[in-house]
Amino acid sequence: MPTTTSVAARAFVAVDYDHCSYCGACVAVCPPDCITLHDATLIVDTNACTLCRRCIPACPTGALTMVEAVA
Amino acid sequence: MKDRYDVVVVGAGPAGSIAARTAAEAGLETLLIEKRQEIGSPVRCGEAVGRDTVEKFIARDPKWIAAEIDCFSIYNAQGDHVVLPPLERTLVLERKIFDRELAHSAAKAGAEVAVKARATGMIRNGGGVEGVRMVVQGEPRDARATVVIGADGTESQTPRWAGLKSIPQLKNYYTAAQYLMTDIDVNPRICQYHIGWTIAPGGYGWVFPKGDKQANVGLVMWVDPKETKTAIEYLNEFVAARFPGKSILAQVVGGIPITNVLPEMVTDGYMAVGDAAHQSDPLTAGGITNGMYGGMFAAQVAAEGIKKGDVSKKFLKKYEQMWDAEFGKLYRRLLRIRHAVLNVPDDRLGKMIAEAAKLDARKMSLKDVVMIVLKSHPKLLLEVVPYFLGQ
Repeated sequence: MPTTTSVAARAFVAVDYDHCSYCGACVAVCPPDCITLHDATLIVDTNACTLCRRCIPACPTGALTMVEAVA
Repeated sequence: MKDRYDVVVVGAGPAGSIAARTAAEAGLETLLIEKRQEIGSPVRCGEAVGRDTVEKFIARDPKWIAAEIDCFSIYNAQGDHVVLPPLERTLVLERKIFDRELAHSAAKAGAEVAVKARATGMIRNGGGVEGVRMVVQGEPRDARATVVIGADGTESQTPRWAGLKSIPQLKNYYTAAQYLMTDIDVNPRICQYHIGWTIAPGGYGWVFPKGDKQANVGLVMWVDPKETKTAIEYLNEFVAARFPGKSILAQVVGGIPITNVLPEMVTDGYMAVGDAAHQSDPLTAGGITNGMYGGMFAAQVAAEGIKKGDVSKKFLKKYEQMWDAEFGKLYRRLLRIRHAVLNVPDDRLGKMIAEAAKLDARKMSLKDVVMIVLKSHPKLLLEVVPYFLGQ
């Protein structure tokens, strides 16, 4: 059984904080409502994320990327 | 902060502040909460508004006016441009000051205003809303409210927490980027629009002067999963070609729904206003004064409902009717114009602008300019002309 602690055992959306400007463009288009914007923090709830990828092109700065699962 | 209010407004942008002010002026106990630590910051847009419209809400004050605009000019990607005859008198705002002034006016009217107060959910009762769950300066708090007005902007969550369908399709969403630039040589009284797929696919670029050789230089583009460049990359190319080596004082980015308004903007005890209700203009994505109207209409209906003891979805729908009477027809037409423009091939659109550039358009009526430029595009003409005739 693989453990859930291994990085990228499952694909996930990663936030590049050098690009993110905390605008919330991704929040509005996220169907499961799994992205939370605090003052200067953006958090993606990877458990609730359905990997639909809608947030990725919506981001004006390219701060969101899909990290693919390790086989 | 109390445990119970007549109205709680979530979000202290222009729509929320006008909603809170209108509610307070109607004698309602009103709370206005803002998640950020500072109202008006970060700035979220290009800051241009119609002068006469904004003055319906607040007396003009030089401290929030960065520039006064007489004219608009339309550019193609090659730099040909036409200066249009004067349309509506326009102001470029200093949003940081403007937004704070509006929140201040809500407070002066009797609303309680709080910053660093983030909504985390709605207190629900069946299908309806009975209050807001918040984190206020780190402490979880609930505030019961007869009506909650969601003015939480483009990143809004309150409509979906209230059970409304509010997630825009990507094709009806703009992604946007803007720089505040300095030492720029532009006419300080002309707002520039730049159209072309190489500039901003499915959208447009702009240069809005802000006085003292500063300008907001930005663009909106559509969201396309096949697109390889981000909005900020398009903006960097736009800036490198037009204002090389100039300094950037601020960066603004964001997303804007351009769907036309939500099919339902209310439910029992809840109303959405401004960008939370997708009230930005579906062609230009401008939304400041539109949202202020939304906030005013919503609070007026909320006040009436609270006095009558009826804040059911059925009663609050009156707000949707007020919105539709003021903006419904216009927005449906603007949406059709947008779709018609998107269907014009890029080189054709560029040529139309080049043709118009040869006209001495400033001495003509806008309708005449449009008629001449669009004569080869009857379909677009059919949509655009009634718009200029005000129908």
